[in-house]
Amino acid sequence: MISRARWYRRGLLAGVALLAVWGLGVAVGLGAEDTSKNAAIAESASPRNDDKVHITLQTVPPRKATVKWGSKTLGVIPVPRPLVVVRPRDSGPLDLVVRMAGFLPVHTRAYTFSDSRVAIKLTPVSEKNTLFGYRAEVPPEGSASPDAGAPPPAPVPPPASAPVPQR
Amino acid sequence: MKYAPLFAVQSCLALLLGCDVRGVASLPPPQTTSSAATSVSAPASKPLALAAPAPLAAPAVASKAPAPHDPNLLPDDDRALVIRDGQESWTSATGAARSGYTIVDLGDDWTPYIFEEHRGADGQPLPNRYRRVFLGLANDTLDEDGEPLPAGEKNYLELYGIPPSLGVLRARFLEDEKQSCHEGANLAAMQAVETVGYVAPEKVKQEEQRIARLRSELEDARRKAHAPTLAELAAQDPKLEPKVKLVERRAAEKLAMTEVERRLACEGMFKHGGKHSAGIYDDAMRLAVRRFQQKHMIYESNYLRQKTMDALARPPLANDHEALVRVLRERVVAATGVVEDGSVESKTGPPTYTGANGRITPVRNLVEEMTQAAVEQLGLASPEAALAFFKRHSAADLRHLRAAVHLPALPEYYGPNMDLSIVIDRGEVWYDLPWDATGARHPQPRKRYPSFHVYVKYKEQRISLARWRTTIGGWRAEQASDGYEYYRYKGSDVGPRVIRNVVAGPVWIAPESTPIRTLVKTKTVNGLWQRVVNYDELGPGFLSAYGLIAGYLVVPGKAGKPDWDNGIRAHGSSEYLSMYSAEGYSHGCHRLPNHLAIRLYSFILRHRPVQIVGDQPTNIARQFLLGDDVFEIRVPSRGYQYLLEPPLPIDVLEGEIKGTLKKPVLTYVPKPGVRYPGPPPAVPNSAEGRAGGVGSGRSGSDEEGGAP
Repeated sequence: MISRARWYRRGLLAGVALLAVWGLGVAVGLGAEDTSKNAAIAESASPRNDDKVHITLQTVPPRKATVKWGSKTLGVIPVPRPLVVVRPRDSGPLDLVVRMAGFLPVHTRAYTFSDSRVAIKLTPVSEKNTLFGYRAEVPPEGSASPDAGAPPPAPVPPPASAPVPQR
Repeated sequence: MKYAPLFAVQSCLALLLGCDVRGVASLPPPQTTSSAATSVSAPASKPLALAAPAPLAAPAVASKAPAPHDPNLLPDDDRALVIRDGQESWTSATGAARSGYTIVDLGDDWTPYIFEEHRGADGQPLPNRYRRVFLGLANDTLDEDGEPLPAGEKNYLELYGIPPSLGVLRARFLEDEKQSCHEGANLAAMQAVETVGYVAPEKVKQEEQRIARLRSELEDARRKAHAPTLAELAAQDPKLEPKVKLVERRAAEKLAMTEVERRLACEGMFKHGGKHSAGIYDDAMRLAVRRFQQKHMIYESNYLRQKTMDALARPPLANDHEALVRVLRERVVAATGVVEDGSVESKTGPPTYTGANGRITPVRNLVEEMTQAAVEQLGLASPEAALAFFKRHSAADLRHLRAAVHLPALPEYYGPNMDLSIVIDRGEVWYDLPWDATGARHPQPRKRYPSFHVYVKYKEQRISLARWRTTIGGWRAEQASDGYEYYRYKGSDVGPRVIRNVVAGPVWIAPESTPIRTLVKTKTVNGLWQRVVNYDELGPGFLSAYGLIAGYLVVPGKAGKPDWDNGIRAHGSSEYLSMYSAEGYSHGCHRLPNHLAIRLYSFILRHRPVQIVGDQPTNIARQFLLGDDVFEIRVPSRGYQYLLEPPLPIDVLEGEIKGTLKKPVLTYVPKPGVRYPGPPPAVPNSAEGRAGGVGSGRSGSDEEGGAP
């Protein structure tokens, strides 16, 4: 005899499993025809509607990253499947923040002009120095710094052919 | 189109009666156009909207005016308002256009030609991504991201190239009629000063003490000299005159400032700037002044300069009327496809050309002629008349309102394929560093500023149509590959070029040399104040580095080779001070205020053979690090492309090189006072990197943007 609590647990697990295999992923509706930003409605991969767009979010490498849109958590990317967000067509862009422990948070944007797929590259915190904009440390005060406070260099004249290239 | 069958019957009846120009004797005769004008045609692809091409598909000369119709019997898209002697009636827009009238689109769903949705050669629509945003901004329904604008919020973007819709102006007129911002105003105090001098908030007390000391000193002198007033004192002792003037000016400015604060508060201009401290030109005041300037399209820095003071002294309805005339001007310009705005006139008058009849003919200010004709015919010549018009017409009426007006004929040099060209004179150019090793700035005065000239060749004459201030490049901060900012001379190329690609709603793909601090901004996202990529700067949008429209300057490729693109554009810009201030420079591009850039390219696209390519989807993503966060620039489209074939010739004149250096510096220059980890890296060899005129490159690359 299985207890009632066990039945509930099994039912819940089955429900979760069913959700997990459903279509391309979890589709999260963020409002119907209006632009209500707070009315999160879980939706299955419903038939395509011309009034809506589907934004498919994935990370590279694939990770169960959390996707936030302002104060609202849209969901966790259900690796290996993407997170699919449904929005009214042409309702303005979504500025998203993707977070995953051990990686730098990524601020990205998704558009609602048409269906789109957004692959977000995640960078481990330890590889921060591989990103553009990383600033090398300035040598400590007093040590030799080739250009610190130096007057501007002498101007370099342009090559004779510049600016118009020979065609 | 529920009235379509009825309209068809009407049209047939009209044709049977031979009366597509049926008489209403009291109406004025229709527009008579020169033969050249009658051959003007729409571009290769027909816009979806009826309004834009209709006026350019010039009518046959006719002798009678369109007949009035029962507006309920006309289809929505063929209904035009005609006003004669103050009497309004409705007519068929198609019939009126055939009769020589110009159909001016006054609807809230109007955009400039460049944002219209066209059809491709295959007849399929070519949607324009930015159109919806433009309309939302003009109608105060959307913000710059295309998201709903909070109720009651106003955009005020005319200064940046997005005029308000007539629906927005109607609401403004009706609201201002009720309020009393001008009543009881101390106009004498406002008119007593031309400007109000700026005193930094932290120096206000110090300045007040200085003026008090000065006043006390002058009062002592006045008593000793037995002068009844300070003015008399100054007359007696001329060396005291500057001090007297300063004291009097400060007193007058204080009174004027009080009036300014009252007016700005009454117009709701302090809504967004935080708390304002009376009498102090704090940030709240600066933002309020900026908002007022945006509302009234005043090209001045955010201080109380003359034009701003003049507008503050005018009754609100008078300012509203000026806004209405400006809005009508853009609508009329769009309907007629003209560009001549009087900017080529000099002290000796306008330039001239010899017409086909051998007569010397001055270049007309068509923009003003056409606008004034429309304003008068529509009965909108005064604030009161405009208010009455808006009371007669509901907001719903204005949604798709079009008017038939009889405008002056176009000059004979107009045609479907005008021999247009552009010349950019760089004016006076400085290559010298504008500072020394200590960071002290060295002035680089210019008497002759860069200018943008539009010409048409007609009967072996080069006729000057328009001349505007523009920009050339100068010394700018640039981020090098070591993550540090340096200065670099971002010059403007010299020599012959062409514009082949024109992009509406262009996106500037920020190159890696863009200082990262400019690529991030803060905004409220779904209820949370957070940092985001600064898409305002990238576009599409009125604040974009490329403005609302850009033409790409290239050297045309020969023998099957692609065009050579050095990253220089001629584009719209919201940074009007870079064009109008003495210190203004670009990164190498030639900027125009957005509304002039829209006029320019609309004119070019409608008078040259053009292929409408449409939206240019792309999938560019680029990440950068700021602090411990990664920001990702995502660009789904480069904008809406028009292809000029043959391309438009453009010549950039070198100008006069001032100072010691006669060639630009090509390397990075460390910023004075900044410590760097090593020597400056090499400058990048991308199109953007070459904007200073180095190296060579090819167009069509997705790798980078140009030099805004």
